Amino acid sequence: MDAIHIRNLSHQYDGRVDRALKNINLDIRASAVTILLGASGSGKSTFLRSINRLIEPEEGQIVINNQDILACGTHEVEEIRQSIGMIFQQFNLVERDTVLKNVLNGRLSYVRTLPGIFSRFSSEDYDIAYDCLRRVSLIEYAHYRSGSLSGGQKQRVAIARALAQCPRIILADEPVSSLDPKLMRETMDLLQTICQEENITLVASLHFLELARLYATHMVGMRDGEIVFDDVPDELTDGELIKIYGETRDWHLYGKLGY
Amino acid sequence: MDVTKPLLHQSSSDSRLMRRLLTSLVVVTIYWWAVQGTNTSLTHILEGIPFMAGYIKRMFPPDLSIINRLLVGAAETIQIAIMGTTLGALVALPLSFLAARNVMSVRVVYQATRSLFDVCRAVNEIVWALLFVAMVGLGPFPGVLALAVHLVGALGRYFSEAIETANPEVIKAIVATGASRTLVVVHGILSEIKPLIVGYVLYYFEHSVRAATILGLVGAGGIGFELITSIRLFKSQEVLTTLIVMMLMVVAVDRISAHVRNRIVQVEAIE
Repeated sequence: MDAIHIRNLSHQYDGRVDRALKNINLDIRASAVTILLGASGSGKSTFLRSINRLIEPEEGQIVINNQDILACGTHEVEEIRQSIGMIFQQFNLVERDTVLKNVLNGRLSYVRTLPGIFSRFSSEDYDIAYDCLRRVSLIEYAHYRSGSLSGGQKQRVAIARALAQCPRIILADEPVSSLDPKLMRETMDLLQTICQEENITLVASLHFLELARLYATHMVGMRDGEIVFDDVPDELTDGELIKIYGETRDWHLYGKLGY
Repeated sequence: MDVTKPLLHQSSSDSRLMRRLLTSLVVVTIYWWAVQGTNTSLTHILEGIPFMAGYIKRMFPPDLSIINRLLVGAAETIQIAIMGTTLGALVALPLSFLAARNVMSVRVVYQATRSLFDVCRAVNEIVWALLFVAMVGLGPFPGVLALAVHLVGALGRYFSEAIETANPEVIKAIVATGASRTLVVVHGILSEIKPLIVGYVLYYFEHSVRAATILGLVGAGGIGFELITSIRLFKSQEVLTTLIVMMLMVVAVDRISAHVRNRIVQVEAIE
């Protein structure tokens, strides 16, 4: 079964000559790990951010649960976003707030406006937030200021925040690009485990081929706003890689050894 | 246009001399205009010295018998400042979101709110006080209103600028959770800039205490009323006492408020 159907998706940023996304058609499988590959500027971020409408694409359809989210009104979009967690390269936590408060932010779509303004979360919200913190092994940091944590810990808080939404899908926009190699593995392991246990569809963009091969059940290659590869990892041959990244002498930098 | 170009590139001593002469002429003219309009003259100042010395001599010793009345006035001044600052901040905060480009995308609303802030701020507290005394009568309440209106402009502007410094990526992360617009503003923006807001409010509270000392001059309550009364009745000894109480009050409020502000900054740094 497919979780997300994308049809004829195109987008052009204001003041740019070429389109950031060019007529993209893609089916993303449910409960699978889809890894997006592509050079910086190839449109991975724009694509991911179109799925939860952080960016408003100019045309096309994105169908989740038989609902075209690009045709939805504000309220419906908020409802759909509730079921889509998102993780960012720079973590994007409210640094002044505590770890717990940041995770509770993942519950904001479940509280009504007035109690929400005064951070009156329900005891169920707190239970879920604490549970998510346990899942990412940060329970003892619950009352620390988020800004005081290390990069790897911050990304785990961000994962807990996404998990607190009880999402069906998690979008991860270069989730490990600001972490060291060891933390890259640990963070991806954690993300994979959580998505498997909760049956969450994961769509993540990565820059390291070896890392991508470790986790991907499906790979999508992008170049200049177009999809140039869409298959299982085993089909990603050297020829396909050149289609994605172009010719380069520096394959070792992508983690592709022995080229 | 074509005439200025060669003038700028040609560094001939002639044109430079011309420009200097022209600049001097403009400066001299401005000062002549200002001096003849204000009767400022050295003879005036010299002639005035004995009178000033006489007035200062008559101020001593300060008349301490009125101290109770002054303390009541000083307390009222601080009360006016507290209420004026609070009222101003409460009105400024919600309005400031309408004047922040990253929250308000409708240009007309954004521009209109900014203009409102400019008008409130451009008019001095004492002028607002004159207007409110005329509208609601004498007493501390028009003073509170005068401070509040001025602060809506001043704080509103600083608040909206603080809102515009909020990290757009953090805001996007809160949007992505599915939170409603209001909750995004509260949890994505307000919680980031809270210390800035507290800092501005305390700073403007200090400013308000200083401003409130003179509101009494136009009948809008506080210790300024005592000052203007003593001056009008030529009670120089009372004037000195009033000035001393005023100074002590302003210094004390500044110290305490600065201490609280520092504490907030420090707590932020340690956490």
